[in-house]
Amino acid sequence: MRELAERVASELGGESGESPGFAWVRVPPEKMLEAARMIREAGLEHVKAVTAIDRPEEGEIEVVYHASSYEPGRRGVLALRTSVPRDDPRLPSLVGVWPSAEYMEREQWEMLGVVFEGHPRLERLLLPEDFEGVHPLRKDYEVRTA
Amino acid sequence: MMVMLDLLLDLLLSPWVFVPLVYPGLVSAFALLLFIIWAERKMAGKVQMRYGPLYVLKPLGGIIQLVVDRIRYLFQEPIVPEEADAAAFVLAPIALFTACLLPVVVIPVGPEFYAFRSDISLLAFLALSSLAPAFTVAVGWASSNKFSLIGGLREGYLALAYEVPLVVSALAGAALYGTMDLVEMAEAQSSVWGVCLNPLAALVFLLLVYMETSRFPFEISEAESEIVMGPFTEYSGILYGLCMGASYVKMYALSLLFTVMFLGAWHPLPPPTGTVLDPILPGAVVFAKALAVMLCGTLLRAVYQRYRIDQALKISWHTLTPLSLASLALSALVGVA
Amino acid sequence: MSEAEERTIELLIGPQHPASGHMRLVARVDGDVVVELRPDIGYVHRTVEKLAEVKTYLQVVPLVERPALADTANHNLGYVLAVERLLGVEAPPRAQYLRTVLAEISRIHSHLYGLGILGIMLGSSTAFMWCFNDREPLIDLAQELTGARLTYSYMIPGGVRRDLPPGFAERAEKVFRYLERRLKDYERLYFRNPVVRARTEGVGVLTREDAVRLGVVGPNLRASGVAYDVREADPYEAYPDLDFHVVTREEGDCAARMWVRVDEIRESMRLVREALSKIPDGPILHERFSKAIPPKWREWMEEKRRVKIPAAMVSLRIPPGEALSRVEAARGELTFYLVSDGSPNPYRMRMVTPSFRNVVLFRHLIRDCRVADIPAIYGSLDYFPPEADR
Repeated sequence: MRELAERVASELGGESGESPGFAWVRVPPEKMLEAARMIREAGLEHVKAVTAIDRPEEGEIEVVYHASSYEPGRRGVLALRTSVPRDDPRLPSLVGVWPSAEYMEREQWEMLGVVFEGHPRLERLLLPEDFEGVHPLRKDYEVRTA
Repeated sequence: MMVMLDLLLDLLLSPWVFVPLVYPGLVSAFALLLFIIWAERKMAGKVQMRYGPLYVLKPLGGIIQLVVDRIRYLFQEPIVPEEADAAAFVLAPIALFTACLLPVVVIPVGPEFYAFRSDISLLAFLALSSLAPAFTVAVGWASSNKFSLIGGLREGYLALAYEVPLVVSALAGAALYGTMDLVEMAEAQSSVWGVCLNPLAALVFLLLVYMETSRFPFEISEAESEIVMGPFTEYSGILYGLCMGASYVKMYALSLLFTVMFLGAWHPLPPPTGTVLDPILPGAVVFAKALAVMLCGTLLRAVYQRYRIDQALKISWHTLTPLSLASLALSALVGVA
Repeated sequence: MSEAEERTIELLIGPQHPASGHMRLVARVDGDVVVELRPDIGYVHRTVEKLAEVKTYLQVVPLVERPALADTANHNLGYVLAVERLLGVEAPPRAQYLRTVLAEISRIHSHLYGLGILGIMLGSSTAFMWCFNDREPLIDLAQELTGARLTYSYMIPGGVRRDLPPGFAERAEKVFRYLERRLKDYERLYFRNPVVRARTEGVGVLTREDAVRLGVVGPNLRASGVAYDVREADPYEAYPDLDFHVVTREEGDCAARMWVRVDEIRESMRLVREALSKIPDGPILHERFSKAIPPKWREWMEEKRRVKIPAAMVSLRIPPGEALSRVEAARGELTFYLVSDGSPNPYRMRMVTPSFRNVVLFRHLIRDCRVADIPAIYGSLDYFPPEADR
């Protein structure tokens, strides 16, 4: 997985690295679709997690896709990550490349407000219909703890 | 005073009052209802490694659980939904229960003890019992609820599917004895029971009885995991009690018919005891046999799952109808011989 | 268009329904044929991910157990593995074996739960009662080991909280023999019952390509012929030392999913027997934490074979970093992605549960089938709404 990460990073002008449990490659948001296609062609056909991490002091939201394959020999995890500005978080949806990302992208839109352009259905998933207010997983939404 | 009491007793014990009122009519139907549902829950509990109803009257195993349940239904508020057709909503279950209970009037209790006798009493029974599904569909319609509608329609499909082979196999039984008079049929089985003469008709008839009365695996119109309670979803209180009781009462009537036609009715005759109960003693034999059939049916709840409606209809049309026609042919052969 | 719309009814198999669980299924039904089905989840959303950001690392341990109530040990294990990877520690071997034992016991009784739910959805209250009854011996075993019936909170970063009680292996053996006898009864009454076979064979077929494309996990994936199990793909804890086989079936229908779960119960029993026979001696807590415990308590720990949680673990601060862990929970692959920033709370905890990854199957499988197939397919997917909604 490390080699795949380095190959994608070098071809698309990003950076790569490794963390406990997975290798990662970081690309700018406009290169996400292309990077996803490269990773998909390398055989990683499904996404295990789509995570959006809110970083208010840097003013951006980081979006991470953890992709992997069910085939033997390719079962490591490769993370595709990018950062979008916090006040206008737009990203092309990767549902066309990885259909397994559909519900997870929808959940991250609902919780953090990242708009995945081209997603077939960006609607409420987990929150109640009458929920109002800012996207709950953002850091400025306070949770009262006893 | 004594004369009046004597008159009353005579009236009560005369066949054409006793049969519809006490046995096998209203009173015994209710008593049976109280018992059979408790027996079903108890047997299912035994199979499923639990106690079943035990709380009420613990030393007797909770046997009056159903009495308590009925009292509770009587005191519950029967809620009529706003969008439901109120007249149909209230009247349809009552009509359903009545239609299910009505056929028992033709069942003879003993060789001399019957409400009325006619040479087409079997046909009368079948005709009366085919009224019930229409009222189930009415119950499903009246509730103005999609689940009830689906349940009622399922019952309509099933009614068509089981009525045809039921009538054919009943006629096969009639052809066996050459008569449609239930008393004559019972008398003709004094030496050998009908089930030995034409087991095919008996088996098909029994399976169709279970199908008609929503015994598992054919509990399709009230399939709980799919359509909540089927046609009876919106019911509460005594109307719910009537709805639930209707299928058991139908099973009672059909089991009595099955006993009279195939299981030898009141043979072997119990010895006369010389009391006023003499004419009714053969009826006890009939009741015992019918009870055995009913307990078999209720045990199926613990064993089988539920069929899909298209699978049940397929069984009825593709398997049971040809079998019932074959049993008719068999009856003709046996009758000739 | 309008005529077709009138022909179909919209059935709301909503939260108030005997067989919907905590979710709503919006079905478009044309007569008895389901045209489309949309799952409407989120009724039991308990904001686990947000709560994890305000609780300490140790407090999150009971938090992540709660979503999947039928299979808590594996969720516990996934989170603790992520924390350990962030810290760069590994639990001692004895603790790893104990964790494996508990995880497999949890898997068995979760599969029994799933089989019971399938039974009641098909209409068999007997199967339901038997399955739930037969979970009790396993829950008693777990209670002996951990002290709790379902939500154990047994695994903590660095090890486990209690050691094996004496005589555990014999009692486990008795329980497994009982379960094997019962499985024979189940086969006669439930699995090979002609009605069950008519309701589940050929119903809700998931092809191999669709399973891979949609990212399905767990027994649902393995019943379609894909031999993917995290215990084999990315082994953790004691699984590298144990003789583990992946259970698969080819047909991909409801019956195959049911049989995969039954075979996995047998496989798990075998794994527990093997682990209990091979378990090594040693400490049950990593020394990074055990050396932070004062000596007086350490003697008590040795004597009682229990762990006293040190203050260092209660107020654990992890330097900035991130880690991914995946375990095979009973229902499928569970993924934890943990981001830390040096404070006592996790910065971001992402928990992708197997039921959440299987939600897409509702829309995909329940199409052009009959109304009665909705509960059959639902029961065979072993979908657990609280786990999906977190």
